[in-house]
Amino acid sequence: MDLTTLAIAATPSFIASAVEFVEAATIVLAVGVTRGWRAPLVGTVLAALTLAVIVGTLGVALVNYVPERLLLGIYKREVAELRAQGLKKTEWDWVGTIVSYKAVLLEGTEVAFIVISFGAKGVSAMSAAIWGAVAAGVIVTGLAAAIRGPLTAVPENLLKFIVGAMLTTFGIFWFGEGVGAEWPGDALSIPVILALVLATSWASVRMLNVIVPEGAHVEARNV
Amino acid sequence: MSSVLRGIWDNTYGLLVDDGQLAVGAIAALAITWLIAQYSSEALREDAGWVLVAMVVVLIVANLYRAGRNAHRRRRTS
Repeated sequence: MDLTTLAIAATPSFIASAVEFVEAATIVLAVGVTRGWRAPLVGTVLAALTLAVIVGTLGVALVNYVPERLLLGIYKREVAELRAQGLKKTEWDWVGTIVSYKAVLLEGTEVAFIVISFGAKGVSAMSAAIWGAVAAGVIVTGLAAAIRGPLTAVPENLLKFIVGAMLTTFGIFWFGEGVGAEWPGDALSIPVILALVLATSWASVRMLNVIVPEGAHVEARNV
Repeated sequence: MSSVLRGIWDNTYGLLVDDGQLAVGAIAALAITWLIAQYSSEALREDAGWVLVAMVVVLIVANLYRAGRNAHRRRRTS
């Protein structure tokens, strides 16, 4: 297989895997920027090792036992408590490790599914799918590492806003896929959904500014 | 550890009770999307994902509008 043919054959796996790597990188970056880098990076390495064992021995495994919202909720609460006390966390950050571990393991398992699906046609298809996934992993991880520093300068609430919009977008996209809905352009629909979610969120913030011009601490939970 | 357990309890309670209306709305939106994707005509089935997007948008706006009105009312009465 020449390089051009390999590149064309690897493209579907590259795009699909890139989506998964972006999901994992988003969560690891969000945890790292808000809680410190050591724990999420350890979680990421542990997840990569677990994934290697799973793929090498068991093939694929389902890891969706602990709801992500629960872990992220605990983590937000802990951060708020520590800030209220004017303290910094000194003991090992287990929540940060678990959130990153789970995100990387789950998305990594999905990448394994993608490679198996695209590579099922034969040896050359498997080779192309693996190259596509590896290229996506290298590029997304490299980009995540590159923006890691500048990201710390982004206000935390803006970061949460963007991460929330991205997780909502991926949730909508994958639920649609799961129930058999067809998205025009498949994964290319994701930026359109993201734009709609961001526009809606921005409009909602403007709406709240009009309803409560004097400002108020408004949470969805207080409905 | 007790902090973690309290966090689990608070978040589970928050998910099921405090955010109840939003959660019910989200589940209804998912159920409607599933029904459309499974049982509707082919033309509508292809748009099932966008129907979900529209319902999520409406849920977000309606939920925040209500939150804003409630906050405004609380501030006026306090």
